[in-house]
Amino acid sequence: MNHEKRKQFITIVIFVAILAILIAVVWRTSGTTTFVRTALSGLTLGSLFFMVSAGLTLIFGLMHVLNFAHGSMFMLGAYIGWQFYTNPTFVFGIAPLIIAFATGLQFLTVIKPRLTQLNLSESLQNLLPRLAWVLVIILVVLAILNFDILGLANTAMVAVTTVTESNPLAELSPQEPLARFWLRPFFLLLGGFLAAVAVSKPGNKKEYVAAEHTTRNWLLIGGLIVATILLTVFREAWSEAILLMNGNLRFVLALFVATGFGLLCGMFIEVLLIRPLYTRSFFIVLMTLGISFVIKETIQFLWTPLAYKMVRPPLFAAPGKAETVADWLLNSNATLDIFGVTFPTYRLFIILLGFLMFIFITLLMTKTRLGMVIRAGVQDPEMVEALGINVRSMFTFVFALGIAMAALGGIGAAPFIPVQPLMGDQYQMQGFITVVIGGMGSYVGAFIGALTLGLARAFGDYYALKWSLSTAVAEASTVIIMVIVLLVKPSGLFGKKE
Amino acid sequence: MNENTKPENLLLVDNIQTYIGQFHILQGVTVEVPKNEITVLLGRNGAGKTTTLKSILGLTPPSQGKIIFKDMEIHGKRAFNIVNLGIGYVPEHRAIFRKLSVMENLKMAERKRGDLDKHADFIFELFPDLERLYKLPGNHLSGGQQQMLAVARALVPDNDLLLIDEPSEGLAPILIQQMMEAIRKLSQTTTVLLVEQNFIMASQLAKNFYIIDDGKTVTNGKMSELIHNEELIHEYLGASVRTVKQGDKA
Repeated sequence: MNHEKRKQFITIVIFVAILAILIAVVWRTSGTTTFVRTALSGLTLGSLFFMVSAGLTLIFGLMHVLNFAHGSMFMLGAYIGWQFYTNPTFVFGIAPLIIAFATGLQFLTVIKPRLTQLNLSESLQNLLPRLAWVLVIILVVLAILNFDILGLANTAMVAVTTVTESNPLAELSPQEPLARFWLRPFFLLLGGFLAAVAVSKPGNKKEYVAAEHTTRNWLLIGGLIVATILLTVFREAWSEAILLMNGNLRFVLALFVATGFGLLCGMFIEVLLIRPLYTRSFFIVLMTLGISFVIKETIQFLWTPLAYKMVRPPLFAAPGKAETVADWLLNSNATLDIFGVTFPTYRLFIILLGFLMFIFITLLMTKTRLGMVIRAGVQDPEMVEALGINVRSMFTFVFALGIAMAALGGIGAAPFIPVQPLMGDQYQMQGFITVVIGGMGSYVGAFIGALTLGLARAFGDYYALKWSLSTAVAEASTVIIMVIVLLVKPSGLFGKKE
Repeated sequence: MNENTKPENLLLVDNIQTYIGQFHILQGVTVEVPKNEITVLLGRNGAGKTTTLKSILGLTPPSQGKIIFKDMEIHGKRAFNIVNLGIGYVPEHRAIFRKLSVMENLKMAERKRGDLDKHADFIFELFPDLERLYKLPGNHLSGGQQQMLAVARALVPDNDLLLIDEPSEGLAPILIQQMMEAIRKLSQTTTVLLVEQNFIMASQLAKNFYIIDDGKTVTNGKMSELIHNEELIHEYLGASVRTVKQGDKA
């Protein structure tokens, strides 16, 4: 065991040494200015790669799921964040519906212990869930009947063309009146509740679950109901308030909204679609591929396959170059002088976001009980369950966390790259290569792999331009690195042997 | 029921049937575990002893039969819910978390905050080695130390029942002796259901025995009677007979 560790250490030292020599050579040959500019570009790319690969590697490490929907979730995060930032009408238009259904489902935690204890005849036990499902479908159809989702999706499109500086509320369009709208979340709440009834298998005493944390669960449900009502009643007022807000604050909120949306999406996907397939891992691959197609098509349906440009938040928008960081923070310049290189400030923010995410994961995995449980679960989930820990909900959480990080990466990248349905695909590809280089399941490996790939891409681009080679060289460089790493260490830099 | 004549059962496994994949592993296992006593499951390799433990825990849920723990039906519940009712599990092959430190391994078993602090003294009294190794990762421990850690982990929360699977497996004789002492000590406060191939250890520790063969319980009784029943031992435990005789001489 100790020998293995030393071997791993030596591999990393050699890897870093090679990297250092390469960097030194490049520095000497290209000069400081070019080197700094290219290195910073590389770090920007590397940060984006890490945001995608962090979730991929966590999900693979714990559940052995290759998530091919990860790039799509990256894209979805970008769209939701972009919508929220430019004109939140769409987000606030659909939020009451989603929250209402989720609130209904949340009743599961409190009604299941009671429903399973009911004395029902066998035929009634079979009939009740079916009846409930039929009602759920009717309610959901009623709730979304005549719902103008395309009109809602179009609200932010206006913002792309109009200047909103003078009057931020210029492009707000009137929405369906509340007197009619309130029925939709109401029906969905009922639908969610009935779905919870159906899922909890009334009368099936074998399904018995202990009523735990009852007060906490009721409080959660109460909070969700209040949230649903607030979101429904003030849905237009919220949009106005957000638009009147300071642009930077709005962007920070957009980051949170996209992340939260990713968290919710991840939970739904894991519980409803992935969980039934854990014993058949091949089908999970097909399932995630299918999910990615559905998400892409939905986005194309809502916003057409065009590419949109998200406006940079004001902190990174003012024209002119800042000489120092303090200068930039004071004047919100678009570019900053770093060692004589004029570098866009927004890209610095992306680098910062990537590093913050790495710190967050490191702290989560090493300092918290949850991280400890995840590390134990990677080795032996059955034993973790045998110690009284709910492994299923841990899987759900880790999946949701991975998706949320991808969504955060998406909105982080949105002001930097065009927002379009296929924007996540190349990041997913690079993310997979990163995970393979770093070793499947290792977040440290993913971080180092992502930075390596980002730098390779940037310097590859630079040399391709300098020696007038095809840009394919830069794209191939990442795969070449992967091949070399796999030849030297088949399990990846930080991977463990099977 | 008169409590003086018949000890109260903490756990009752009633004629369970368990499939693993397509294999019908348990075809009718019945075990009663009286409170505050050690009960041992005996039988050849592959007879279904480990599967019985895992069926009780809900890790391989039985398809038929009943399992009653503390007067509650627990079959069909999720494993983590069953365990949280107060069952500690020491798996075979020392399934500790190798990448986690000794402390983290013990912390993993906490059900509420402070469980470890509460029982630390008792655990380190049984296994003084662990206190010295507290910060080391699991894969730096020797086989015997890993086994001790596996047992210690089951002692962290308040448990009413311990399921211990082959604690002597692959241990040197002196360590087996130490392990036996530990199990005897902890059985003063907890009920134990033991699976053990080492007949000497089983016969010295346990009060009651069950013999499982081909996924069925074939016979049961008091350990004191089994020791003298060479025919039965020979039929179901085979190779163990010689060890018994050697053990008697020693």
